[in-house]
Amino acid sequence: MFCQNLLKSAAVIVLLCISQLVMAQDRVVTGRVIDSKTNTGVPAVTITVKGARTGTQTASDGSFRISVGPSVNTLVFSSIGYATQEVDITGKSSIEVAFVISNAQLGEVVVTGYGTARKKDLTGSIASVKEKDFNKGVNTSPEQLIQGKVAGLQITNNNGSPGAAATIRIRGTGSVRSGNSPLIVVDGVPLEGGSGRPGLGLPGMGGTPGSNPLNFVNPADIESMDVLKDASAAAIYGSRGANGVILITTKKGKTGTPSIEFGYAFGTSNIANQIDILSGSEYVAALTKYGLPSTVSTQAVPTANYGGSVDAMDAIFRTGITQNVNLALSGGTETARQRVSVSFLNEKGIVEESQLKKYTIGYTGNFKFLESKKLGLDVNVNTAFIQEEIVPITNNAGFQGSLIGQALQWNPTHPFQKTDGSYWVEPQFGASSVNPLWMLQMYDDNVKTSQVWGYIAPYFRFTNELEYKFQYGRNQSDGSRTAMVGRGLLNINDVKDRGWASVSTAKVLVEQFTHTLSYNKQINPNFYLNAVIGYEYLNFENSNASETGQDFADLGIPYYNMLGYSTVSSRNIQHYESPTNELQSMFARANVNYKNKYLLTATVRRDGSTKFGENNKYAIFPSFSAAWVIGNEGFMQGIDFVQNLKLRAGWGQTGNQEFPSGASQTRYGVSGPGSITQQNVGNPDLKWETSTNLNIGLDFQLLKGLINVTADYFKKETKDVLFELDFPQPGASAAKQWKNLDALITNKGVELAVNASIIKKADFTWDLGVNGTWLENILEGLNGTYNTGGLSGQGSSGAYVQKLASNYPLNVFYTRIYQGIDKTTGQSIYLDDGDVLYYDEDPNPDFLLGASTELRYKKLTFTMNLNGAFGHYIFNETAMNVIPITNLGSRNVASSFINSEVREDLSNPITASTRFLEKGNFIKCQNARIAYSFGNVGKYFKNATVAITGQNLFTITDYSGFDPEVNVDKNIGGIPSYGIEYIPYPSARRFQISINFSL
Amino acid sequence: MKYSKLILLVSGVVFFSACTKLEEKFNSETTQGSSGGSGGGNAAALLQGAYRSLNNPYQDQSRWWAASEHSSDEAVGPTRGGDWDDNGAWRVYHNHRWTADHGWLTDTYRELLQAQFAATTVLDANPTPVQKGEARFLRAFTMWSVLDGWDQVPFRSTSLGDLTSTLPEVMKGTECADYLIAELNGAIPDLTAGNGIGRASKNAAKALLMKIYLNRGVYADRAAPTFAAADMNQVISLADQILADFPAYPGGFTANFFDNFTPNNDIIGKEIVYSLRNDNASGTGGNGAMFHYHAGTHYNQTPSGWNGFTTLGDFYDAFDPNDKRRGGGNAGPADFGYYPGFTNVTGMRVGMLFGQQKNGAGANLQDRKGNPLSFTKEVALKEAGGNLEVTGIRVVKYVQDQVHQFPADNDLVIFRLADILLMKAEAILRGGTATAGPGGYGATPAAIVNNIRTLPSRGLTALGTVDLNAVYKERGFELYWEGWRRNDMIRFGTFLNARQLKAATTPERLLYPIPNQQLTINPNLVQNPGY
Repeated sequence: MFCQNLLKSAAVIVLLCISQLVMAQDRVVTGRVIDSKTNTGVPAVTITVKGARTGTQTASDGSFRISVGPSVNTLVFSSIGYATQEVDITGKSSIEVAFVISNAQLGEVVVTGYGTARKKDLTGSIASVKEKDFNKGVNTSPEQLIQGKVAGLQITNNNGSPGAAATIRIRGTGSVRSGNSPLIVVDGVPLEGGSGRPGLGLPGMGGTPGSNPLNFVNPADIESMDVLKDASAAAIYGSRGANGVILITTKKGKTGTPSIEFGYAFGTSNIANQIDILSGSEYVAALTKYGLPSTVSTQAVPTANYGGSVDAMDAIFRTGITQNVNLALSGGTETARQRVSVSFLNEKGIVEESQLKKYTIGYTGNFKFLESKKLGLDVNVNTAFIQEEIVPITNNAGFQGSLIGQALQWNPTHPFQKTDGSYWVEPQFGASSVNPLWMLQMYDDNVKTSQVWGYIAPYFRFTNELEYKFQYGRNQSDGSRTAMVGRGLLNINDVKDRGWASVSTAKVLVEQFTHTLSYNKQINPNFYLNAVIGYEYLNFENSNASETGQDFADLGIPYYNMLGYSTVSSRNIQHYESPTNELQSMFARANVNYKNKYLLTATVRRDGSTKFGENNKYAIFPSFSAAWVIGNEGFMQGIDFVQNLKLRAGWGQTGNQEFPSGASQTRYGVSGPGSITQQNVGNPDLKWETSTNLNIGLDFQLLKGLINVTADYFKKETKDVLFELDFPQPGASAAKQWKNLDALITNKGVELAVNASIIKKADFTWDLGVNGTWLENILEGLNGTYNTGGLSGQGSSGAYVQKLASNYPLNVFYTRIYQGIDKTTGQSIYLDDGDVLYYDEDPNPDFLLGASTELRYKKLTFTMNLNGAFGHYIFNETAMNVIPITNLGSRNVASSFINSEVREDLSNPITASTRFLEKGNFIKCQNARIAYSFGNVGKYFKNATVAITGQNLFTITDYSGFDPEVNVDKNIGGIPSYGIEYIPYPSARRFQISINFSL
Repeated sequence: MKYSKLILLVSGVVFFSACTKLEEKFNSETTQGSSGGSGGGNAAALLQGAYRSLNNPYQDQSRWWAASEHSSDEAVGPTRGGDWDDNGAWRVYHNHRWTADHGWLTDTYRELLQAQFAATTVLDANPTPVQKGEARFLRAFTMWSVLDGWDQVPFRSTSLGDLTSTLPEVMKGTECADYLIAELNGAIPDLTAGNGIGRASKNAAKALLMKIYLNRGVYADRAAPTFAAADMNQVISLADQILADFPAYPGGFTANFFDNFTPNNDIIGKEIVYSLRNDNASGTGGNGAMFHYHAGTHYNQTPSGWNGFTTLGDFYDAFDPNDKRRGGGNAGPADFGYYPGFTNVTGMRVGMLFGQQKNGAGANLQDRKGNPLSFTKEVALKEAGGNLEVTGIRVVKYVQDQVHQFPADNDLVIFRLADILLMKAEAILRGGTATAGPGGYGATPAAIVNNIRTLPSRGLTALGTVDLNAVYKERGFELYWEGWRRNDMIRFGTFLNARQLKAATTPERLLYPIPNQQLTINPNLVQNPGY
């Protein structure tokens, strides 16, 4: 490894040391073309000598170099979307040209992966969201900035805890077993391999949910996010592009006077929606209604009325406080631009004791060397430190529930504390019920994750057209977690009178070496070529270790700091280091523009991976796409109502290789003290899965650019589907084997995005953007069926509600059909007595909606963003398992069971059925903001803005759980579930006041 | 021209840096399981892994044990309101309405076959003779369970080579039984002598041979088995060989019946012929024995349980009231179920818990709704009503481990002296030739059965005549909840009969269905008739 890296680095140095190849001409003029608004370089600007045909064009950062005859005095700068400029160069050898946008839509530069493209040259489906259009408010992680902003992009916050993970899908779910999350690339560095935050399974309480691996990126450092949706755009990422790609571009230093930008926000948050359970008095009424003893409990006559009235949900929730400080220093000259940013976020969650603190420091520098400025260096280093206090809320808690379940179940007539002030550890209504307040006292779980990522990227421009760039990127994450459950938490099995503690660590490292050679030239006025070839090597490493022990004493030391005190037999130690995981790739892309009417893009990538089986080491992913700019044809000249009409079509293949390292080989590993077991039967044919994409799109403008419309039809077919298939037994301990199935997954749909400037006056503007996505998903050709959506809790061992099955959508619900309550017995009636399970509804939405609007009157701006999903169902396991009717007489019950017309018998078993399938349709106000812009205040303060932002303001839905935007991980054997709610950390409604200014 | 040189150079860089061969190397695992390790170093660890692979299928309360007990007249897992629905899996175990999609039968089948494979990996790793003998025993043991439950036994003779494109062959019926007999006879010379406390031994293999010979006629025709005298004589001969390792009667028996099921039963459980090791100190074993009692006892008992499994009133009533093996009681130290050192601490009895339950202080316990915690003979598959927490008689055959609750130290008993003796008695009644045998344990079926019944630890009087039915009943009294009832009921022709909470069922129920999971991926399997 070392030798290899050294070789690479040496080669780069040799290359960079080659002296420049000066062309023998009379005079050289260098300079840079920048966008007058953003101060960023404008690439591919055509520069010609006035009156002559000779010319050149700007490089990706806007810089150029042109040799002109001694008599030349004027250069002409032109590019579509900008006003053409003539610049006098008499006596100048270096100039900077500020380019003014004539049409914002067409002038944009879009990041395409290993390069950029002019938006007008795009042939694939790429959505670009700039900073000004980002969602506002407290956004812990970057994908929240574009939630609801891009057609075809669905972002679901899995739960409401600070820093919670999100489910991100571009154009539906394309894979069964392999990952479905898009590849995320920040400034060319792929954020793969997860985070170093250790996971944790609690004794008797289930596994804690993961956090968002993107949390460490400071959203305030982001300039734009580009979503590569179809294969013609994503094929450059080959075997990792099948789920689409999100490219994040961070802010860079700007030339000119150094500036300081400062932002501060203070916010509060509260639980957005409570589930309707019984209050103390309602509980007593329900006891009476059901003929249960309801007078206050005495020893002689036991009843479930303990005389009090408490609200356990209120008791564990609070008003969360969030503070966020951002400071960025930026400045530089044409040859050295730098930016430093610092941020601090402190988010106290809505559940008592939950907290996330995040500190980030980022540095980015862009330098140019040599007189000719041909040698450049881009550097970027970011560090983030995240400290979390976690509360005991798990994905798969058993019958004693995790914190939210314990609070929902708490008998509302039973006090939390005894008269002497001590907590009820074994409440009178059930010795196995857990007091949620005592739970919070007894539980302690701290995670510290630090992440360092960045890159160093030298480049050399041989000519204005040809550039070589090397990028070394590195992303390293280290985390440690200390957790304990006090022995005083008497009534949780496994912990009772013993206590439990765990110390765990994890490390993730991704290293990247990328060489690219790009060529960018207006070959003649009609013909423009943009091409890139490259080689890339990626290395992924991860490891984790943990120690747990039990049987502690309360000596004033946290258990996790006295692990040596635990009994030997209770201890558990493990350390795992992943196998080699390397990816080696070559790629090329060419983009041709002929007469600004006919555009063609071709891409190819060849990926080799250590993970692939011996017989399939290398994969090739091609794509082709073309566009016809009908609007530039002569026959369209007289037509006024439609402008810039562009028809795009693309075909391509992308891959997915998200299966664990080691899956293709036979392996033996530790299975306990003194023992090893064969864990896997090797599959030398194992390879990536391939998605074939077809995309047809139409872009146009109406009413002289006031309305912009983008429409796309897509069809994505995934074959060689990666699946961990049951192995014909007898076999190894894994019981399954990774294989490529003959099955086919098809996702198809239509996307429509409309952006309109409804009012555009000097003092008053109104913009409206709406996007919609129609989606359809089906799985075909799967041999046999596979269960997922495993339920948890009392009486639900072995119960599941979803299946993977041919000719059904992925994760189709599969359960009993509920036909109501029998009026005489009060018991549930099921089709076929409940002995037969049926395929039911689809958890995948048919339609996604996003809408945003901005109203500006003078210095006052109002923005609002909505998103929604329709046509899908959610399984409400919270209602089924946590607060069922059978609880009455001891624990609390959902009001709906008591208030129903038919009287349900108290012994009606908890059984999974369509009774708990609910329509998931919703429209949610993601955020709304009123901002007042003071402009420049006094001598020093510039661009001062004060804003009030509300997040998650309202949700329109019939769903009865906490939030229809939910996805609790209920996988079975790694087969992911989708659309199940089970006592998650509820989502919050937030209000925030913020102030921003620069110096 | 200059460009072309440059491009050449850059291509050179690309070429040079393209030096990774994409070799996947392991850090925490090895590819060298079978061939590596001199002197059987890996074989020892693989053998330990093979023992460990028995934990799930044999010790978990939902697997082979449940398939052998819940389908019989000894055990039922009623749904109690919101509790123990578990997708109906317990109910169909008892009323024989299981399907080829039954989750736990699917898991049991797969895990038994995985355990077979784990034993095979030992045989492929240059084992020592003792290791080889133990691995062959473990493989035969798991294959016998599959034969007994499903008749079709997928088998891979090696763990090496290309397993991805080869399907396992499937052995059936007497062909499989004969293979297992040959295997066990081959293994016995290599095994250590005596009984197998947590580790395979000669007697463990001989006891398994007895089971196979005794049931050989069953495997030929489960609906109408016939028993060959030669097979029965093998049973008798093997019994005598095992008895030779026990002290003379009654020295082979424990003073208290329940001593065989204590946390230290590896030391005081004298009757054990073969057991699965559960030992916290060495980190071996599963939760098994604990699960069996934990699944039944009530939440409010000490130690707290899961309030699930019960036995049936009819089975309880079949016992002689003087039978100490039934245990239970709520009077005091005179109770059959009073186990010193346990009952006086926790208030819990051992054996079958019927009627009012008490705590350690002797006070009456209540259920979570405040009803007296008084277990009833009446029980339903789906309990409804106010007393749903207290229905059904609970079974605590294993004395609970008060030191380690999770997991417990009680070794799980597979073969026991009384089982050996009762098999011998049965073999004589089925046409075998009676022998005196060593140790004076009895030369006739009546002598053998009465020698057990009249032990002070059993507390019964001798029976006048002992026929097959008496042996069958005695097996129930002696071996209840030890995982043999389904096997016995099929051999004695009672398995399909109507009984408490179960209607009469048809002969396809004598076999479990091949789980759909394996049926779809192994074309050598065919679904058992009637499913």
